[in-house]
Amino acid sequence: MISIRGLRKDFGAMAAVDGLSLEIERGCVFGFLGRNGAGKTTTIRMMMGLTEPSAGTVLLGGHDVRTEAEAAKAITGYLPDHPYLYDKLTGAEMLGFVGGLYGIPKAECRLRAASLLEEFALSERANELTETYSHGMKQRLALAAALIHRPTILVLDEPMVGLDPQGAHDFRRLLARLAADGITVFLSTHSLAVAEELSTRIGVLDRGRLIALGTLAELRQQAAAAAARPASTGGPATLEELFLELVGAAEGQW
Amino acid sequence: MSGLPEPSVAQIVSPRRLAARNALRRGWGRPLALAFLTAVFWVGCFGLFARALEWFHTIGDFGPLLTHRLLVLLFVTFFAVLLLSNTITALTTFYLADDVNLLLAAPIEPRVLHHARFLETLVSSSWMILLFGLPIFLAYGIVERGGPAFYAGTIVALLPFLVIPAAIGTIVATLLVLVFPAQRARDGLLLLIGLSAGAAFVLVRLARPERLADPSGLAGFASFLVGFGGEPSPWLPTTWITGTMLPLLGAREGDPRFSLGLLWTTAAALFLLSAALVERTYLRAWTSAQEGGRSSGRGASLLDRIERAGSFLPRVPRLLLAKDLSIFLRDASQWSQLVLIGALVVIYVYNFTALPIAENTPLGIVLRDVATFCNLGLAAFVVTSVAVRFVYPTISLEGRSWWILRTAPVPLGRLWWSKFWIGFGPLIVLGEVLVVLTNHLLGVSPLATAVFAATLVPLVAAIVSMGLGFGASYPRLDTQNAAQIATGFGAIVYMVSALGLVALVVLLEAWPISRLLGFGRGAPATASARAGFALLAFAAALAPCAWAFVSSRRRGIRALERLGS
Repeated sequence: MISIRGLRKDFGAMAAVDGLSLEIERGCVFGFLGRNGAGKTTTIRMMMGLTEPSAGTVLLGGHDVRTEAEAAKAITGYLPDHPYLYDKLTGAEMLGFVGGLYGIPKAECRLRAASLLEEFALSERANELTETYSHGMKQRLALAAALIHRPTILVLDEPMVGLDPQGAHDFRRLLARLAADGITVFLSTHSLAVAEELSTRIGVLDRGRLIALGTLAELRQQAAAAAARPASTGGPATLEELFLELVGAAEGQW
Repeated sequence: MSGLPEPSVAQIVSPRRLAARNALRRGWGRPLALAFLTAVFWVGCFGLFARALEWFHTIGDFGPLLTHRLLVLLFVTFFAVLLLSNTITALTTFYLADDVNLLLAAPIEPRVLHHARFLETLVSSSWMILLFGLPIFLAYGIVERGGPAFYAGTIVALLPFLVIPAAIGTIVATLLVLVFPAQRARDGLLLLIGLSAGAAFVLVRLARPERLADPSGLAGFASFLVGFGGEPSPWLPTTWITGTMLPLLGAREGDPRFSLGLLWTTAAALFLLSAALVERTYLRAWTSAQEGGRSSGRGASLLDRIERAGSFLPRVPRLLLAKDLSIFLRDASQWSQLVLIGALVVIYVYNFTALPIAENTPLGIVLRDVATFCNLGLAAFVVTSVAVRFVYPTISLEGRSWWILRTAPVPLGRLWWSKFWIGFGPLIVLGEVLVVLTNHLLGVSPLATAVFAATLVPLVAAIVSMGLGFGASYPRLDTQNAAQIATGFGAIVYMVSALGLVALVVLLEAWPISRLLGFGRGAPATASARAGFALLAFAAALAPCAWAFVSSRRRGIRALERLGS
């Protein structure tokens, strides 16, 4: 469903993303992990056509993001790390506007918006300007906007930031339901607990390079192999320990 | 306390200083271009005032009085502008700025916070006055032969003169925020400024200042200046500053030290009062400002209503129009700009009614031809001015929400066209109304008016295309203030480029249009000759407009592709 081949982005002499290749199948929740500055957001921005890659291709649902941008975007929902909205539009108007951009008929869009606003506990504030919303509410509204056109691919960049415990819990349930419905989720997160709970596959990016890829069990084996020990003899128990071992952060690097 | 030294005022304002330094490090091109434009403005302003002051010397006993009253008039204007601009800036720097949270969380005494924000308010509000004022004061010094004492006295008097409105502005802003929400207070003030400025423009124009060029009108202007404000109030800082400067110029008897003393003591007292008020009420006022950020859901279905009204438009332009118009109508700071544009149109049309073209004298006929000829350029100039304010900022105003449009399945080309039509529609109506109405007032032949009206179509299209192209090439994604975007470097480059195109079109049309006007006055011509010259004029305008339109569109779309990446 998502195919990334030889993706590269250079900023001057620095390679923010360095030859990234990935294949993600339909219905997979792909956890995309990495330290700050590893290149996760740059990768996502290239996937969404927000940043021009230096090299490589991204296919979403078989559509090249550069040459068939509209077809690729039409099946994809996106939640950025800082979802800036139109301050002077109400929550309901925001969803109506985004739905319109995706060509959803007005009446249908209104029904979907009402349902999403209800689901994300925004109904009571639906007719207030988004400038009055809290960060968490803006995050929920942006997620609702990403879902209004019922995408088959969902690209989420740090979606848990700003959500309260109830919101985070509801969000995890939503992701599980979406995956069960066959939606492919590309999830960049710092929350290793979320990645561990939800991800069917995980990729770890470090300094722009993919240093690990697979299911949690496969990653444990990879880490064990790297440390030259049997996977069954007391390797990292949690994804956090595994992540730290993989990226070398256990040595105290930021 | 931790024993660490408290941050100083200099440390708190250092982000501004460092940001300016970093901007300079990025390259000297823009600062040098701005410095050049400033220098041109200064020279022009200096020349104008120097000539006016020299002229005052030639009119006998009235001269010194006019010199005096002109200075009073200037300072009264400056003071009024400073009061309003300081109040708005204080509202922003004290109660709406993003970094106040950071400063409040830091171990900074409220007094130090006040001093730092006061300094920012003072500098942000006063630099424009200094820019306008310095060449004028220099003209006074040179024409009136002021010695070093005049220049030193001016500098020493200007500082408290600037501090006084800054202190009053801070006090008023704080009191307003304690009573009203900060955003509402600022919006209300901006609207008030727009209405006042619009009214002032119209009133000044209706006073027919062109009579000054007529020797018989001179007495009227002189009597206006002489009677201006009657005897100045001894309680006003404007009286004190002129009371400092004029004796130093030898233009009036008196001891400048008394007036200077009044300026300094008042500035010091108001500064301390402002500090005491802010120190005591800051947290309460800041909290009130935050609560005031909430607004009701009034006009909740505004976007829907606009969309319905524009149902004849294709989907994307209709959506963008509805969004942009909803945002525009909910931002009170934009309304003041509309008021100013309304005033501009009234003045423009009035100018043509005030021309002495009704007289069928040779002078009247020449004046009518010149006015007709300039009309196209002037109308295009008005359209460009409006485009700088409303079309140029549209890309920047998408700001950090650009991702919403960019990730939607809408090609950039269609987004560009949507933005184009949203800008082109109102501007072509404005331009055509101006040209057709004023040509009618001038009694221009229908054929020449038709050529002008037709020329405006590609010209306005090119102006809008250039506005989007430059707007996308010089984006300001960090601000939602359209007025700020419209005064940036890119806006100046756009204005100059668009006016260059207007000048070129007027120049290219000059010959065929002059022939058409000649026919209108009875020069013999066949219908085909008239049509030929009309077509020639239009074709001459079309070529540069088409080039500007296409190249700007191409550049704009390329810039949109890079935007935010």
